[in-house]
Amino acid sequence: MSEENWIEVGSTDSIEEEDLIRFDHQDKTFCVYKLTDGFYATDGICTHEAVHLEDGLVMDDEIECPMHQGIFNIKSGEALSPPACEDLKTYPVKVDNDKIFIKID
Amino acid sequence: MKNNIIILGGGQAGIYAAREIRQNDSKSNIKILGEENLLPYERPPLSKDFLLDKKKAEDLYFHSSDVLKNENIEFENISINKVDFENKKLFAKNDNVYSYDSLLISTGSENKKLTLDNNLKNDIYYLRNLEEAKKIKEIVSNKNKITIIGGGFIGLEIASSLSQLQKKVVVIEIGNQLMGRIIPKQIADLVQNTHIEHGNEIILNKQIEKISKKNDDYEILLNDNSLIETDFIIAGIGSTPTVKLFENTNLKLDNGIVTNQFCETSIKDVYAAGDVSNFYHPFYERNMRLESYQHAQNHGICAGKNIAGVKTEYSSIPWMWSDQFNLNLQLTGICDEYDEIIERGNDINNGVIYFFLKNNKIRGACGVGVIGKVGRDIRITSKLTEKDAIVDKQILSDQNLKLNKLIQK
Ligand SMILES: Cc1cc2nc3c(=O)[nH]c(=O)nc-3n(C[C@H](O)[C@H](O)[C@H](O)COP(=O)(O)OP(=O)(O)OC[C@H]3O[C@@H](n4cnc5c(N)ncnc54)[C@H](O)[C@@H]3O)c2cc1C
Ligand code: FES
Repeated sequence: MSEENWIEVGSTDSIEEEDLIRFDHQDKTFCVYKLTDGFYATDGICTHEAVHLEDGLVMDDEIECPMHQGIFNIKSGEALSPPACEDLKTYPVKVDNDKIFIKID
Repeated sequence: MKNNIIILGGGQAGIYAAREIRQNDSKSNIKILGEENLLPYERPPLSKDFLLDKKKAEDLYFHSSDVLKNENIEFENISINKVDFENKKLFAKNDNVYSYDSLLISTGSENKKLTLDNNLKNDIYYLRNLEEAKKIKEIVSNKNKITIIGGGFIGLEIASSLSQLQKKVVVIEIGNQLMGRIIPKQIADLVQNTHIEHGNEIILNKQIEKISKKNDDYEILLNDNSLIETDFIIAGIGSTPTVKLFENTNLKLDNGIVTNQFCETSIKDVYAAGDVSNFYHPFYERNMRLESYQHAQNHGICAGKNIAGVKTEYSSIPWMWSDQFNLNLQLTGICDEYDEIIERGNDINNGVIYFFLKNNKIRGACGVGVIGKVGRDIRITSKLTEKDAIVDKQILSDQNLKLNKLIQK
């Protein structure tokens, strides 16, 4: 794992618990979540249609798409409820000195 | 003992029921009888991404034939034209007979047709299934001026898609607002403005007197004597539950098949789910019939559980959406029983929601906004409705205050 791939997203207090922020890097969009047991990251666009998940609802370990209520597990990316059927990509996250980093490949 | 379970109607409710039965019952024979020669597929894209060529037919199936095979669910392409509830038998046109121990009716709904001269019957198009969508798509590629009769969800979605395909679109609606039966006028007006901004012509409060054919084109005469010239006509004037098959039987019908909260009909071992069922909703304490994706799925799943012997009450808060241009409209609960309306937001770019309250509790809400802007709040509203809690109206009406606060309480 090379250090260069870890991208700084922001400080740990920029996200409320059980919520998310959108993070854009180059031409890609990500969602970074704060759950009760830590931080997680996924692609920022729903796999069903091209809608930003930043407006979705975070409930426990799940993110629900604001457009058609497709549901994904935030930790595994698994599509849990139709019309979403394709999994969401997830990314490793680490916290260093109160800053959140995600590893983009 | 092996049971024979038959699912009549191979649509959304049918396939979800079949899979749910299998989850709870590994032994019974499960057979879906469907008159469309296709595995169950999603209908919402037919008026949207399929017409726009963003989705192909093969993208619409809920599950592949492999999934059905693995779960030992049989699908047979057949149209049933007679039922004998007493002897638990279904009859097909080709004389095939199917015996069941339990039956789920999930025959969906069908489009209302315009009453017209016989010679025009084949000239007006309707959209319900993939075959019709394919035909419409093929024909409109050579047409320019298209008229949609009926300003309901499906008509407006087609109008939005055809406008995006650079067609000149006119929508004729008999009522004094679009999506009249269920959507508040303020929201209908916002949607109407978006159609007009994109060049669609919306005609309200007008009735059609006559349609005549002029060579390959048509003239539509309205009741104010105005004349619309058009190349192609699509009608979306509402739908009715598909129950003709049961009209002369003991099955209790009233705006669809009457079912209780367990998807049971008036006949033992016969269940109904999806568009075709007029079901008792224990939370609202009344019967209702819904035509929506979420309902077809959840009602199918609930029927599946009950058929498999896992007694389960259906009390999902209704939810549906419509996508037109860059707008996403959503509706939750019921919006026709209220003593107070609360408005949240006034700019379509940030989302506008109307909450319908009775005795200080939310019964339903309707919102519209640029894609993504109302979904979260509508979802939270469904949860609030379900909790049946008295809500803080200040939070509902102020878009700067997050609705999450209300569920956390
Ligand atoms: C164009 C269009 C767009 C839509 N868009 C949306 C949307 O944006 N959002 C939303 O929430 N909902 C939408 N809906 C509604 C949603 O698709 C329906 O509510 C849902 O499909 C209902 O599922 P169902 O299983 O009850 O019926 P269907 O999916 O209609 O399935 C019924 C099946 O039974 C078959 N059948 C009927 N009679 C017989 C018989 N005698 N023998 C054998 N087979 C029979 C029919 O051919 C059909 O295949 C849309 C519907 C349409 C048509
Ligand atoms: S766009 Fe996310 S579920 Fe449809």
